[in-house]
Amino acid sequence: MSDTSLISLPPAAEAELVRRLQARDESAMTLFYERYSSALYGVIFRIVKAEDEAEDVLQEALVKIWHAFASYDPGKGRLFTWVLNICRNLSIDKIRSRQHRVGSRTQGLDDSLTAQRQAAPTTFRPEHIGLQEITQKLIPEQRLIIDLLYFEGFTQSEVAEELNIPLGTVKTRARTAIKVLSKLIR
Amino acid sequence: MENIQQYIESGILEQYALGELSSAEQAAVDNNAASHPEIQEELQQVQAALGFYAEAHAITPPAGMRERVLGNVLAQIAKPASTLRADVDAVAQASTASNQPTHVATQPVAAASGEAVVRPMATAPATQPASRSVWAMAASVALIMSLAANALFYSRWVEASDEVVALQSSQARFAATQNVVQKQLGALREDNQVLRSDEFRAVALAGTKTSPSARAKVLYNATTRKVYVDVRSLPALPAGKQYQLWALDNGKPVDAGVLLASTATGEGIQQMKDIASAQAFAMTVEPMGGSVNPTLSTMTVVGTI
Repeated sequence: MSDTSLISLPPAAEAELVRRLQARDESAMTLFYERYSSALYGVIFRIVKAEDEAEDVLQEALVKIWHAFASYDPGKGRLFTWVLNICRNLSIDKIRSRQHRVGSRTQGLDDSLTAQRQAAPTTFRPEHIGLQEITQKLIPEQRLIIDLLYFEGFTQSEVAEELNIPLGTVKTRARTAIKVLSKLIR
Repeated sequence: MENIQQYIESGILEQYALGELSSAEQAAVDNNAASHPEIQEELQQVQAALGFYAEAHAITPPAGMRERVLGNVLAQIAKPASTLRADVDAVAQASTASNQPTHVATQPVAAASGEAVVRPMATAPATQPASRSVWAMAASVALIMSLAANALFYSRWVEASDEVVALQSSQARFAATQNVVQKQLGALREDNQVLRSDEFRAVALAGTKTSPSARAKVLYNATTRKVYVDVRSLPALPAGKQYQLWALDNGKPVDAGVLLASTATGEGIQQMKDIASAQAFAMTVEPMGGSVNPTLSTMTVVGTI
């Protein structure tokens, strides 16, 4: 298994970063950026699929993380999980407001998937952490479902409707895919 | 909870981690996780797995983004600006508030001096407060002026530091643009050298029967074997196809490489594969990546040296 803690900090370093952020130490934001920006930018970019918008969302997310930091509870989960959720939510809000402007939401699937393939930027680092390994271990159906849920902001019922498969199947595939990912970490 | 395993397998933890649940449903999951370690552990595994998936998609942000984003974020969260701003607001309020008392203070003075004319007996006690209030008035005026000046200087300072941040970010952007321009200029210079070199022989390629209006030019240096292609106009390609250049040496076609989409639309000249010897050049339409042998029926342009 490849090294999975390139971006997630070791617990002691994460606790120190959390302490500095709780103490409202602005210089900790620079460290935060160094450690998390590529992971957060990667997720935001996959969701909004445009470099300039991704940059705006990342900036908005960092300001939000700073101001909302008091609501982060280390007892409930890792810092990375918390900040990822903030970034995903802001990005999904962004594409929803865009889709709302354009119109129907279902028409977006084919477009957005092709856009996602075309938009793969040159600086993408597949060697970074086992993306290839993930691609090998997840069967295409599982990967499609995870991508729709994670990067397209679909709910499980929307995925079922979109792919025209029973909701139960979506749930099972999503769970199996997540199990596969968990195994890769260990 | 009756059946923890069933709860875990219901898929609700995945929905929680993916942000699909309403805040009430989220709170219910939080409660269940807090009171059942198995649920807590499963939930953390799901979150870690998704975090891992996210990390696997990490992208190095584009050049120059760090300065812009971090600069803007630090400027927005900067503590001195917000607390000092609050101080300025407080000062502004205090100075409007202290204005009223001074005006009020002037009236008793006028009243006192007015009374002094009518009742000379009362002058002694009346003049002393009057002179004290003159000093107080002068001091208040000085204080107000100083506070106003402070507020003015402070707001100019804030504006100036905002401007510095804005300038820094536009400077970073400018530097990035300049890099790109520099690169493009370098490429153009190289192209120009090729075009002006006497050692290069220009070979005009004219359209064939299928595409009479097609025009292109090959620049060929027989000594260094370098080949460049310069497109004037070529028909648009069907999807999945690419133009391929061939050198004809004693009637035998030799692959000289495929044209980039930008070359085919005439955006710039492109260096092709080195060719040892040729008497003519021709272009055909081939599947992406080119073919080993030319598809003669698709020959678009041809020209002899």
